[in-house]
Amino acid sequence: MKKETTKPIIEFKEFNFQYRSLGSPTLKNINLSIYPGDKVLIAGPSGSGKSTLGHCLNGLIPFSYSGEITGKLVINGIEPHKTSIFHISSHVSTILQDQDGQFVGLSVGEDVAFRDENKNVPLDIMRKDVVTALKKVKMEEYINKSPQELSGGLKQRASLAGIVMSEAPILLFDEPLANLDPASGQSAMKLISDIHENNNKTTIVIEHRIEDVLAEKFDKIIIIDKGTIVASGTPTELILDGSLKKNGLREPLYVETMRYANIDFSNLDILNIQTLNTKPIKESINSWIDGVIHNKTHYPEKILKIKDLTFSYDNKENIIENINFDLYKGEIISLLGNNGAGKSTLSKVITGICKEQKGSISYLGEDIKKWSIRKRGQKIGYVMQNPNHMITQETLIDEVSFGLKLRNYKKDEILKKAEETLKICGLYPFRNWPITALSYGQKKRLSIATILALDPSILILDEPTAGQDYRHYLEFMQFIEKLSKTGISIIFITHDMHLALEYSNRAIVLSNGKIIKNDTVSNVLSDNDILSTANLKKISVSTLAEVLEIDEKLLLETFINYDHREVE
Amino acid sequence: MATVGTLYIDKKSPIHSLDGSIKLLMLLLWTAIVFMFTDIRVFIGLIIFGTILIKIANITFKEVKPLVMFLLIFTFFNSIFLILITPTYGSELIDQYTPIFNILGRPLTYETLWFAVTLSLKYLAILPITILFIFTTHPSRFASSLNKIGVSYKIAYAVNIALRYIPDVRDEFVNIMHAQEARGVAFRKGEANLITRFKNYNTILIPLVLSSLNRVEVVSNAMNLRGFGSRKTRTWYNGRKYGKLDFIALTLLIVGTIVGIIVSRLYLTGFWYPF
Repeated sequence: MKKETTKPIIEFKEFNFQYRSLGSPTLKNINLSIYPGDKVLIAGPSGSGKSTLGHCLNGLIPFSYSGEITGKLVINGIEPHKTSIFHISSHVSTILQDQDGQFVGLSVGEDVAFRDENKNVPLDIMRKDVVTALKKVKMEEYINKSPQELSGGLKQRASLAGIVMSEAPILLFDEPLANLDPASGQSAMKLISDIHENNNKTTIVIEHRIEDVLAEKFDKIIIIDKGTIVASGTPTELILDGSLKKNGLREPLYVETMRYANIDFSNLDILNIQTLNTKPIKESINSWIDGVIHNKTHYPEKILKIKDLTFSYDNKENIIENINFDLYKGEIISLLGNNGAGKSTLSKVITGICKEQKGSISYLGEDIKKWSIRKRGQKIGYVMQNPNHMITQETLIDEVSFGLKLRNYKKDEILKKAEETLKICGLYPFRNWPITALSYGQKKRLSIATILALDPSILILDEPTAGQDYRHYLEFMQFIEKLSKTGISIIFITHDMHLALEYSNRAIVLSNGKIIKNDTVSNVLSDNDILSTANLKKISVSTLAEVLEIDEKLLLETFINYDHREVE
Repeated sequence: MATVGTLYIDKKSPIHSLDGSIKLLMLLLWTAIVFMFTDIRVFIGLIIFGTILIKIANITFKEVKPLVMFLLIFTFFNSIFLILITPTYGSELIDQYTPIFNILGRPLTYETLWFAVTLSLKYLAILPITILFIFTTHPSRFASSLNKIGVSYKIAYAVNIALRYIPDVRDEFVNIMHAQEARGVAFRKGEANLITRFKNYNTILIPLVLSSLNRVEVVSNAMNLRGFGSRKTRTWYNGRKYGKLDFIALTLLIVGTIVGIIVSRLYLTGFWYPF
């Protein structure tokens, strides 16, 4: 696979980079060669420097983010930082992770044409280019759609159309899976593979969601942590030697399962899941299943009852329709479904931001129809996906106190409660810090603290783990689980299947505004029809069960129980 | 819900196919001519002519109703204030006093009443062309035509970008407001007094500004990475060449403007009062 004889298309030699605003270098002594036609995954936890490395490749460093570069970087024969960002863009094409931000056109066609426009391509050629590009990503019929009419997945696909026509031999994808539902993520990875194979372009993907990324083939994985390359090799090599796990990345879930079952990985073609159907593996898995205790917690006290809830903006088209479910004290449930299924609307109706047309919500038996948003907010806390949307004050203690002040608590009480809450959330040492100094994960935690201070009995968390790497994810989820043990009920709104699998007692699947399934997580994840209707996908544990001809539900349940026990 | 941040309604008509720059020129000249006159006959003529153009553009009253209502209410109050504050203004203009009754100690004259009507129609005379401009000009085609008449493409493209992200920022605003609301910040009637509610909008502003700055960074990176600004000129996907219709319209526009200037200087000068 290594093409030692050919010249690398990208070559870092003793490369260092330090942002102007920072005191120490973000990239340290990078030595890396990528060969023409390779498909490479750059992985690493948040803050590892993997995005910075990407910026060095596409020229955002040093042309948008300035800093000091030492050492050598050659891309396709040029030294990028000595040219211009425009010059680099004819060697490296980039897809950014923000699907909205990079869609600058007022229609799909216009956005795809953007690169051509800037190069003064004549109109007739440009129009032909746009149609050809859209055909390649199967989006011809969307040519006149506005960005507001497209899902995140389709926006990303339009961006892909924008780069398939470029002459650049290198394609760079910065976290292509961010904000996509599982099915869209899967098709995005597939499309990236197709483009790589059909155009023979060197493809670099920056991602930390290994399970989803490794569904497609990669020639090489490079793991970055704390600004240096800590491991590199083929995916199989890095799984076999445990590098992924060691460096804060999560292995594909079926690999995790096999590790739990103490299977010897040597001599296995570990990435080719179809070859794993051997007698010893099957036996190990079966004996592991027998040894795991399945504990079922019972939640006796009903806290929220939702009955026949229907909502529409215009009285014509119902956004949610006849929603019925109960929530019990201390329970964690997941609200799953594709974008636009009505998950966020449902939570807005529950919190009173939107008023239902029909149906009722009762809290501990009392109908809350007459409750104002503020009153509901005291019992049912709603934490939005983006913590930056919630933060309005300068320091942590002010932020937490703010909600208490609004509710007219006494001064000494406010301080006591705010400090207590910050302690629970592990943010007490930073209480007088400016919020801007916090990491994304800490901000997320702070946004929960602000709600928690009001003593809610239900927390609705919208995409709680979006944008967090595995280490932070684990930390965060253990924190949430601890909260649930104190009797707070949690509703996750998510399309993260791992989250649903491991931390919820139950999953509710929405599609087109209706509940299509309300069941245990293992039952949901093993139901093909439900998964495809709701744009969800199977996790690799299911595939393993299929290959080994083991009962899928049983394997999923064992995985949940075992994985959980390990965490506690 | 509007899908883009504009009022553009996609239809087929000669007016729609006119170049955006011609329509902008028409808007400017039409407005200038309206302000040269204080003669109700001219305004009525322009309103009728404008309405015919709106008919040609296939715009229905229902689509423009909010805008029309807004302007009607505006001109109504405008007239009321005019009458209250300067009840003899019309008379002073033509030196003719026909009092009706006293208002705040001063006589209101028929001449002022007529002047108020004339002024209202003056504002309404600008309405048809405004409607034509905003409802029939495709936003990105407009940006390209601005560039065509000499505006730097970076400035012209800013129009595009603004229109592209207005709906997103609006959604974000609503989202932040909801988040703050759920937290206990009062925005709605009955939850707190007006001043507090007004102050509370600060809690939306800070996150909104921060996230908008962040968006600016992402968008400008995305544009740079795709070569925006690398050359002195650029082509436009939605760009068009001037057609026959544009030249006809331009000629008519120039002739109309010259006629307007001559008429306003020589024939219909000053405030016209028939009685």
